[in-house]
Amino acid sequence: MKPILEVTDLTGGYLPNQPVIHHLDFTVKENEIVGLIGLNGAGKSTTIKHVLGLMEPMSGTSKIEGQTFREEPENYRSQFTYIPEMPILYEELTLWEHLELTAMAYGLEEQTFLTRVRPLLEEFRMDNKIKWFPSQFSKGMKQKVMILCALLVEPKLYIVDEPFVGLDPLGIQSFLEYMVKFKNNGAGVLMSTHILSTAERYCDRFLIMHEGRLVLSGTLAELRVRSGLENATLDEIYLYVARGKVT
Amino acid sequence: MIDVKKLWTKRRNAHVTQTLKYFSLMGNSGLIVSLILLIVIGSVYYAKLLQALPENFPAVFILTIVFSVWLTKSPIRTLLKEGDLVFLLPVESGMKQYFSKAISSATATGAFSTLFLFTLFWPIVQFFIHDGWKMYVTFGFFLIAAKVFNIYVSWEERRLPYRSHQTNYKILRFIVNFVYAYLLFNEAYLFLIAIFAVMYVLKNFVFGVFKKQHGYQWEMLLAEEQSLKMKGYRFVNYFTDVPALKQTVHKRPWLNSLASFSFKKKNTLSALYMKTFVRSGDYLGLYVRLIFIGFLFIYLIPAGWWQLIVVFLFFQMFALQLFTLYTQYRWNVVFIIYPIKQEVRVKAFQNWLKYLLIIQGVLYGLFYGFLSGDWLIAILMPVAAILYSIVRLPSMTKKHIMLTS
Repeated sequence: MKPILEVTDLTGGYLPNQPVIHHLDFTVKENEIVGLIGLNGAGKSTTIKHVLGLMEPMSGTSKIEGQTFREEPENYRSQFTYIPEMPILYEELTLWEHLELTAMAYGLEEQTFLTRVRPLLEEFRMDNKIKWFPSQFSKGMKQKVMILCALLVEPKLYIVDEPFVGLDPLGIQSFLEYMVKFKNNGAGVLMSTHILSTAERYCDRFLIMHEGRLVLSGTLAELRVRSGLENATLDEIYLYVARGKVT
Repeated sequence: MIDVKKLWTKRRNAHVTQTLKYFSLMGNSGLIVSLILLIVIGSVYYAKLLQALPENFPAVFILTIVFSVWLTKSPIRTLLKEGDLVFLLPVESGMKQYFSKAISSATATGAFSTLFLFTLFWPIVQFFIHDGWKMYVTFGFFLIAAKVFNIYVSWEERRLPYRSHQTNYKILRFIVNFVYAYLLFNEAYLFLIAIFAVMYVLKNFVFGVFKKQHGYQWEMLLAEEQSLKMKGYRFVNYFTDVPALKQTVHKRPWLNSLASFSFKKKNTLSALYMKTFVRSGDYLGLYVRLIFIGFLFIYLIPAGWWQLIVVFLFFQMFALQLFTLYTQYRWNVVFIIYPIKQEVRVKAFQNWLKYLLIIQGVLYGLFYGFLSGDWLIAILMPVAAILYSIVRLPSMTKKHIMLTS
């Protein structure tokens, strides 16, 4: 499988000489969902910001399809869509206009947009709300708008930050089904989450972060071997790591 | 345990300090001068208007309408904050003292503002109804009494859980106030005493009952407080910048055609900027205000080529104010990561400004042309807008981007 996202020896942070993440090495390949897990403050969001090209690495690189953000900014960013942890919407735009704007920004043809958008809206039961403004939406509905925008583009790579909080069970199910479908069509997904039972069922590989370092990674079977916990669930391995037992 | 009494005092003091601060800022912005000017001009026209009014001017009817609306509208500043929904809920039983202070404070401002409003109408009362200081005192007293009644009773009304029920009781109050004001301005004091009896019954046996049936409607109280606060901020915002002012979104579907773009990648940000402009309260309001103030200047200043300088200054003012839209999405990650080149982003912003400047120029030109008949200078006005956006805008944008990034 071809790698889409390659992060090599990535170190970075908010203040010079005070890195928050240290020497990260990982990839997200075609046809896989990679779970990024760790405690609050482990460095997940900082990692994602580096991948998005919002922060400059102190050393190391983050490449998408072989290119860094610095080399080809526009091209780099057209390869992925991002679902933020907190929904960010334009107060002045309706749901429909959010979708339209996203499609335009990512260079979709109008016809493609129209054929993709209807089934998405129906799947997430938002088809009767296309004229609503964000002020009329609940937190979960706002989250759905972000998800719809990201799915609409059908990029090579999805970067998803804690998508389940605030989403209703049907919404979670629809989202996961779409992720699996796109994965099977060749896309890669990097998903940060605290809902480990879901991650265990849907992610092909896991990256466990602790205090800014990648302490454990691999499939569930590999994690079991590396942590020495036979038959353990992802929960148990994660707790074991989070208590600092693996270095 | 939270000391609710102290809490009110603390909040009221903070509120007063903030209001005074804003007033001093407004004073600095030249408000005092324009206010005095407005009062002088206003009173001259008021005197003229009074003389021009016909004998059979329905003064009683108009006063009745004005005051029955005024009395029915009884805002109460509770100074509640969003966090109170979590932190004050447990002390609900103790909130009685807090709210009774809010009611007293609303009563004081209500009485004062009622007297102020009545004083404004006093010349009309003198002219058409009755003259003399005794009348002033009598009318003033009765109006204040009704205001106090309305504030007290409307507080009880606020306990009702449904807006529609509140509206029904508001209509009831309006009817009572209408009859009350009508009798008052007809000087039918005997009937007025009968209305007092009705008011007594309403207070004790209609509105008074709500207390036993309902608690406080926290969310509605909070919504009212916030809307009153925003109203205040919006007023102050005419004179000076209010950072706490939340942008309100208006749908304005009739302006949608202005913001419709064909489905192309290069139009993405133009569509976004135009939609934001058309639907936000502030940007469009500012634009329209500047256009009208511009008209006023064109009207006041004698015709001539110097009008082009005036127009140019208005372009500059508009462009400077609108640069805030460029930074509005500075922290919006979704906006930042669109795969759109920086040059394209800047271009979209400039084109959007150019478009609005040209509309502004055309309107000024038409106004000037019809006013003076000098169509050469009128045509030069939109031309000036185009020149301005070609020559001045790029360097201004560059400077702005450097300052904000």
